[in-house]
Amino acid sequence: MKPELTKGNEAIVKAAILAGCRAYYGYPITPASEIAEAAALYFPRVGGVFIQAESETASVNMLYGGAAAGVRCMSGSSGPGMSLMQEGMSYLAGAELPCVIADIMRAGPGLGNIAPEQGDYNQIVKGGGHGNYRTLVLAPASVQEMADFTALAFDLADRYRNPVVVLADGNIGQMMEPVRFADPIDVPAPPAWAVRGTAATRANLVSSIFLEPEKMERHVQKLEAKYRQAEREAVRSESYRTEDAEFVLIGYGIMGRILKAVVDHGRERGHKLGLLRPLTLYPFPGDRIRELAARVKGFLVAELSVGQLRDDVRLALEGRRPVEFFGRTGGVVPTAEEVLAAVEQRFALQEVLVHG
Amino acid sequence: MSPNGKPDRGSVVMNVEECKGCGLCVEACPSKVLSLSKSLNRYGYRPAVYLGHGCSGCGICFFACPEPGGIQVLRRTA
Repeated sequence: MKPELTKGNEAIVKAAILAGCRAYYGYPITPASEIAEAAALYFPRVGGVFIQAESETASVNMLYGGAAAGVRCMSGSSGPGMSLMQEGMSYLAGAELPCVIADIMRAGPGLGNIAPEQGDYNQIVKGGGHGNYRTLVLAPASVQEMADFTALAFDLADRYRNPVVVLADGNIGQMMEPVRFADPIDVPAPPAWAVRGTAATRANLVSSIFLEPEKMERHVQKLEAKYRQAEREAVRSESYRTEDAEFVLIGYGIMGRILKAVVDHGRERGHKLGLLRPLTLYPFPGDRIRELAARVKGFLVAELSVGQLRDDVRLALEGRRPVEFFGRTGGVVPTAEEVLAAVEQRFALQEVLVHG
Repeated sequence: MSPNGKPDRGSVVMNVEECKGCGLCVEACPSKVLSLSKSLNRYGYRPAVYLGHGCSGCGICFFACPEPGGIQVLRRTA
């Protein structure tokens, strides 16, 4: 297909429809409202369902219903709405229901503001709901990736029967870039476990309740085995100029893009910098980080939050190398120059006059 | 990177237009990273120049240099 100038939020919806998604349940919230707007426009055109729910709590439970019926379905929201969805996400994971949710992060906590931030990291990556579950998380850094990762998210959701979150920030959601969309796929047939209200699916049961402790434990172990499998198979990251890097910068989403410029500027000034951009936040590319740790001097994590990604990098490194941190919050997005100055200061790459 | 494989810990900035080409700094430099230039400065001297890598930031060249303001030594802050 020819490239189309598309807004990040709209790219999610178009890519979802092309990936066979036929149901959208959501409640509008800035900076994710264009997802609902585009869904309201496009889903009915392909014979799909668009429902504006009365709240995010309702929309996540509609997702439970849509997914249980074996339909590829999705929702989209931002911080405060994602908080309301957490209970439902725990139920989705517990009942092993595949679905895709886009979180276009804004500043928080509380009502916060509508400017871009990455403060939902812990809630989304660690799982803000109760119980032993995980959500698979993809982190796009461009409008093209918004489209590509949404399609990938549906495949991962079906493969692991688990909710998948496309975790972007207000920047990526609101910006417009040329996008090459994939060719449409046929709407997948409902899986055998789906509850369709037919004689053939009458014996199927979608539930997350296991009253007997032993059965509950077996179910948790089954989920765990699935997550271990995802950790082996689904982890993705992008490395940029890390071959001879002395210091590696780590950031995802819009920050990953800024860090790419930081690496280039830093190299012009003689600093051997590289970039590691996690494309999946869960599973986390810890193996890749440890691999780099064997030959680099240090890491700097940059994020639009207060050290949530840094904690995961520290856990991955297990103390192998020092981890420096740079973060802005509240909707402030740093310039590449600002980050580079922090890199030079933290790693003592600046030279000071001692004689003369 | 210096010849012994250690990373640079500093650098030298030569004031080539004030240098009289005496060569004291070139002799004094323990890392042997200074040399006299092949080109002439405005006085017609061959000024001392830094090879561009290998400086340890020790500052010995600064103390060897008889020219006030002839050499600046910078050191990495680590």
